[in-house]
Amino acid sequence: MSEPQPNQPTLPAESNVKTIIFMVVLSFICALILSVLASALAKPKEVAKDLDRSKQMMIAAKILSHDGHFLIKDSEGNYVPAKYLKDGILAPDPAPGYASQAELLSVYKQRLRPMLVDSKGDLTTFEKAKLNEEEYLANYKKTGYYKQPLKLIYQILPNPSTEAATEKGKQEPIGYVIPVNGFGLWDAIYGYLALNTDGNTVIGITWYDQKETPGLGANISEKEWQDLFPSKKIFQESGSGATDFKTAPLGITVVKGKVSEVLGDNPKAKSAVDGMAGATLTGNGVNDAYKSVLAAYRPFLIKLQSAKQTKE
Amino acid sequence: MSTQKVSTLSYLTNQLWSGNQILVAVLGICSALGVTNRLSVSVTMGLSVSFVTAFSSFFVSLLRKITPDSVRMITQLAIISVFVIIIDQFLQAYFFSISKVLSVFVGLIITNCIVMGRTEGMAKNVEPIPAFLDGLGAGLGYAAVLCIVGGIRELFGFGQLFGQQVIPLSWYATAERPDGYDNFALMVSPPAAFFILGGMIWVFNLINKRT
Repeated sequence: MSEPQPNQPTLPAESNVKTIIFMVVLSFICALILSVLASALAKPKEVAKDLDRSKQMMIAAKILSHDGHFLIKDSEGNYVPAKYLKDGILAPDPAPGYASQAELLSVYKQRLRPMLVDSKGDLTTFEKAKLNEEEYLANYKKTGYYKQPLKLIYQILPNPSTEAATEKGKQEPIGYVIPVNGFGLWDAIYGYLALNTDGNTVIGITWYDQKETPGLGANISEKEWQDLFPSKKIFQESGSGATDFKTAPLGITVVKGKVSEVLGDNPKAKSAVDGMAGATLTGNGVNDAYKSVLAAYRPFLIKLQSAKQTKE
Repeated sequence: MSTQKVSTLSYLTNQLWSGNQILVAVLGICSALGVTNRLSVSVTMGLSVSFVTAFSSFFVSLLRKITPDSVRMITQLAIISVFVIIIDQFLQAYFFSISKVLSVFVGLIITNCIVMGRTEGMAKNVEPIPAFLDGLGAGLGYAAVLCIVGGIRELFGFGQLFGQQVIPLSWYATAERPDGYDNFALMVSPPAAFFILGGMIWVFNLINKRT
């Protein structure tokens, strides 16, 4: 570049001014294009993100598979592929297609009901608590719903069967979804944890918003790793095999290595999953997230447990 | 390079085969390893890069006469970044699940060696239309290689193409028939792309030597 350029015989002083003007104009044009684009796409981006959140919640609740088709529980308790009939009703089908956007939203509306849990562990609705659902969801996502006096929880409602008239308020939930958030290695991570009505057994989990290292920590949003969680217990069993729900440590531990090697037959293994190689810090973040979030829901989880025992 | 007047279209065709950016220049390898375990992701990435190289080459060429030489790299980067952000925002709005899989790789198109290589190596020296075709060709050549690698990896790693099962499920090993077919687990991880690319470069050189 040291060679003189015969094509540009401009003086240095002039060319400096020209360079600066050129850069200012260029930056201005680029900034203008990008800001117009950002405001034009803000709405569709928000819609896409919302849809993804609903999808992830349904994946955690095992209403939707990772591949994008619906699931329902058959009489033996296995999750089988299902297709969409109408009005949020699903029916088993061995070869279902991908769920469309409208179907997803309709099923989401029918099957997941946002509720609030107070500090004593009692459920209440948004109307009773006089809170605006949309505002609440938007305002406390960053800090975590579990830090609020009224904590967010979703009831998973059963598949509305064709014959039974569906009156929304009267359906018994078949599970609960708790929004989980914490810090991974690089940034905040957000996910869902779906629990059975016993408040202890995991139905499924997802992590939907994370910026972990691709190929390592980012595996927390992969199906293979999330499939390790179903049927784990969030209350750690003590050595005797019984669980004291008031004092037992809460959470699911991501161990370093394989659970079978680290913990063996220890009852703790029921509350632990295999770690991801090369992603110890992400694993720690996941552990802390479950621990701190579930601690806030403990009164509610104990109530579920005792309700189940009185039923039995 | 011959001094004969080359037809405009040859800017495009040249990039597709004899000047293929991955197979000849071995550029753009990082994303070729990172995003090729599913065919659909490879196609999206290939098209995104084609879009970015084509349009940034076009605008770099358009501004080539008024761009001061001392800031030409910054100018190129600014133009490239604009198009990368356009693509990134567009994917986030309309192809959210794919944008999640591509994650950082879309943003990293900015540093994809191919884009800057074409703007600096070609676009700043030629007319806008040839520059556009050259960029498009470079992107499509990259996309073609990505699709081949992605196809091989998805077929052998998952038994699927575009997420559809291709290898019949009845071939697979089961508890009763342990000697059946199994997915090739290595194909799912990035090193597989490394071996496939190496193989492709070898085959490419064999073919080119003969002619």
